[in-house]
Amino acid sequence: MGQLQLWLSALEMGCFFGLLALAYYLVLVGAGFFNFAIGTYAMVGGLCTSYLVLYEDMNVWAAAAVAVLASAALAAVTELAVVRQVQRRSGRGELPALVAVAAVLFAIQQLGGYLFGYTTLPGQNLATFDPVSIGDTVAQPSTVLLLGFTVVAFAAAAAWIRYTRTGRLLRAVGDSTHAAGLLGLPVNRVRLIAFLLSGLLAGITGLLFAPKAGVSSLSGLSWALSGFLAMVVGGTGSVWAPLAGGVLLGLVEVFVPYYFGGQSHVYGLLLVALLFFAFKPSGLFVRRIRA
Amino acid sequence: MAETLLVGEGLTKRYGGVTALQDVSFTLAAGEILGLVGPNGAGKTTLVDLISGAQPATEGALTLRGQRLAGPAARRAKAGLARTFQYPQLALELSVADNLLLGRAARRHGTVWQMIAGAFAGALRPHSTADAEAVRALADELGIDGLDRPAGDLSLGEQRLVEVGRALGQDPLVLLLDEPFAGSDAGGVHGIVEVVRTVQRRGHAVILVDHNVDLVAGLVDRIMLLDRGRAVFDGEPRACLDSPQMQQVYFGVADPAETEEDVPHVVS
Amino acid sequence: MKQRVPGSVGLICGVVVAALILLWVGADGYRQTLVTTTATYALVALGMYVPYLMAGSLSMAYGAYAGIGGYAVGLLSTRTGLPLVLAWIAGPVVAAAVAVLLGLATRRLSGFFLAAVTLLFGMAFTALLVDAEGLSGGSGGLGSLRKLNFFGWEPSHYQVVIGSVVVVCGIAFLLDRLRMSPWGVVVRTMRDAPRAVEAAGVRVPVMNLVALAIGAAIAAVGGGLFTYSAGSVTPDTFTLNLVFLAIFMPLIGGSATPWGAVLGAVIAVELTLNFPVIETSGTLILALGVLVILLLAPQGVIGYAARLARLVGGRRG
Repeated sequence: MGQLQLWLSALEMGCFFGLLALAYYLVLVGAGFFNFAIGTYAMVGGLCTSYLVLYEDMNVWAAAAVAVLASAALAAVTELAVVRQVQRRSGRGELPALVAVAAVLFAIQQLGGYLFGYTTLPGQNLATFDPVSIGDTVAQPSTVLLLGFTVVAFAAAAAWIRYTRTGRLLRAVGDSTHAAGLLGLPVNRVRLIAFLLSGLLAGITGLLFAPKAGVSSLSGLSWALSGFLAMVVGGTGSVWAPLAGGVLLGLVEVFVPYYFGGQSHVYGLLLVALLFFAFKPSGLFVRRIRA
Repeated sequence: MAETLLVGEGLTKRYGGVTALQDVSFTLAAGEILGLVGPNGAGKTTLVDLISGAQPATEGALTLRGQRLAGPAARRAKAGLARTFQYPQLALELSVADNLLLGRAARRHGTVWQMIAGAFAGALRPHSTADAEAVRALADELGIDGLDRPAGDLSLGEQRLVEVGRALGQDPLVLLLDEPFAGSDAGGVHGIVEVVRTVQRRGHAVILVDHNVDLVAGLVDRIMLLDRGRAVFDGEPRACLDSPQMQQVYFGVADPAETEEDVPHVVS
Repeated sequence: MKQRVPGSVGLICGVVVAALILLWVGADGYRQTLVTTTATYALVALGMYVPYLMAGSLSMAYGAYAGIGGYAVGLLSTRTGLPLVLAWIAGPVVAAAVAVLLGLATRRLSGFFLAAVTLLFGMAFTALLVDAEGLSGGSGGLGSLRKLNFFGWEPSHYQVVIGSVVVVCGIAFLLDRLRMSPWGVVVRTMRDAPRAVEAAGVRVPVMNLVALAIGAAIAAVGGGLFTYSAGSVTPDTFTLNLVFLAIFMPLIGGSATPWGAVLGAVIAVELTLNFPVIETSGTLILALGVLVILLLAPQGVIGYAARLARLVGGRRG
């Protein structure tokens, strides 16, 4: 495989991780919470689409719409039925929230398996066109779509946070929910919107990535971990930070096995996690708080 | 002349452009009770944190019985320090008895080998009469009852009492009490005063931080007044109360004579 | 409640239930497998009890520790001629050592970060098992294991089942006593008030490592047990599902006592492996049940049974 092809693959993985990380970012900034279930929202996006197309003969765009709506709905349920209750009840402790999100992740994983089966299904392309060739390297349609969507999603997120009222409130609400509530800011609404957007984003990401290697009900967990790692590596300094984190992980994911073979990308990720969590837990791009 | 237990020299704490404590020095003799007073933000709790090891000092040194006192809080506790906290740190789901036991139990789990052996010992023999009696003695001394109640059910004053009992269970050389009287009723105050006297009788020492200057003055042998990170007075309690430094720090006036007509009397 | 022999209430209940289960099992091979699976799940959950429920740090590396126990049995059986029972010493010791190393590497982490790293570690361990073919047999794993042999006596499968139930009850009993002991008080205080524990003279990070080591060792015992009764072990034997279930089992059964983990394991295995309708939906029901319990009944089955008992006994719950 030519070097450029590898770089393209790394970029593709990077964009995938980066989009998931952006979903994490939205919920972290808006609700102060690490929503591990995002991996399973992406899984539902991909698996539901594939299932509907393959077993219910649905048009791919219609199936995608249903799947993405399902992901967003699951995200809303996560916030309304689970996270809000648990955080209200045990405010200070991190452990109850962690267990709660693990339970949600597990439940969605089981639900996915129950509804859509336990086998790996091939991803569905939203649009089919000839692969794009640049010299020796070939970009599959799914790759092009994923890269394009990455640009669109990040740009839209950046614009939303800077120019809309809710977007600007996002950080205020997440930073100090109590104070924000006292100020009369619509805390619950902003939180819910953050969760909904993350579900939507994750769902689309999942279905766009699924063509690369298929999707099964168990995919959610490793996607959840990768997205989380990408977000931590990138930091919360800017809305583009998750993309930086994602690309770094994408490079690890593709180049480490290339040089070291086998399953070494898992070791690579573990090493990155240990290094970053221990030495640079605020990530590459740290928020500058003006004194 | 009583033995010098604890010496602090030039203790300074700076962080992020703020100087919480500047060049504070003191000595503490065996059997002595030192009161630490000052307005909010004066650095009282910071000084306690520096002594106990909860925070590292930016500059300065501490010696306990001639030995350098340094390292993490656990090491200093093993050397003979015990403390309570400004906001009680209790295991709220455990019983009062279990919380009181911690100080005593911790002494048996200080090293790695004790931690490992302690697990086996605990599984084989979970309860001992010696521990139960010691806990009851602590409770009696402090006037705590209802030992089976979860600590979370207690009032703030009761929780402070339990913390003091726990610290006493460590049989410390120096007992550091951070605002033990805040939120306590008369019974609680009495219990803590008894503990302070007991420690004194054993030949050990106490450093007592509190806002209630009158109460502290009646109890301690010496008062150290802190203001904005510096020690501005160190001496007899009565002398401290009458000192110009006290007036300056608490009332913002240099000359006591001025306060009579202009400032409304503070109801004590 | 004050017990004359600390831990006896739990033990008596546990032994009674165990005896009933063993009677029900009899010679039925399927049921025997069910019980050894339950015992394994229970041991992994009990392994998580000390560091997670007592010390408050959630590590998701337990699949790896069970795997170490399982591969210890597999390797000792296929590569050496040593008595097989040594695997239940070697496995836990290695698992404890690995837990300490991982604990050292993650000592500044907590909550979500710790969970993520330990989960990654578990996945890396599985990857290592696949990669290190020469040692571990690769993705095929190790099979055709020897039988246990105590000086000529070879226990039958049913006797092994009894043995695993005895081990589970024994460990639950000891952990119950540990919880009530001064050691338990120190560790449980570490969860909510670590500053107090440090100020009393116990280095919290070190005690945490000891708790992790104990937990890993117990999980390894379970792994070894499962491998022995299954007769083989592969990298996929101890799945990540097991780790999640291990978190949820004490939740279902009740986290006030280690017996809650055991009860949770019984319920979990019933639902996931023995569900009469469709096997697959059992796990889903379990998952949804966990959510319900988390939100509505955080004390689990035993917690509510205890409250009910107090109500019935005439005292306010």
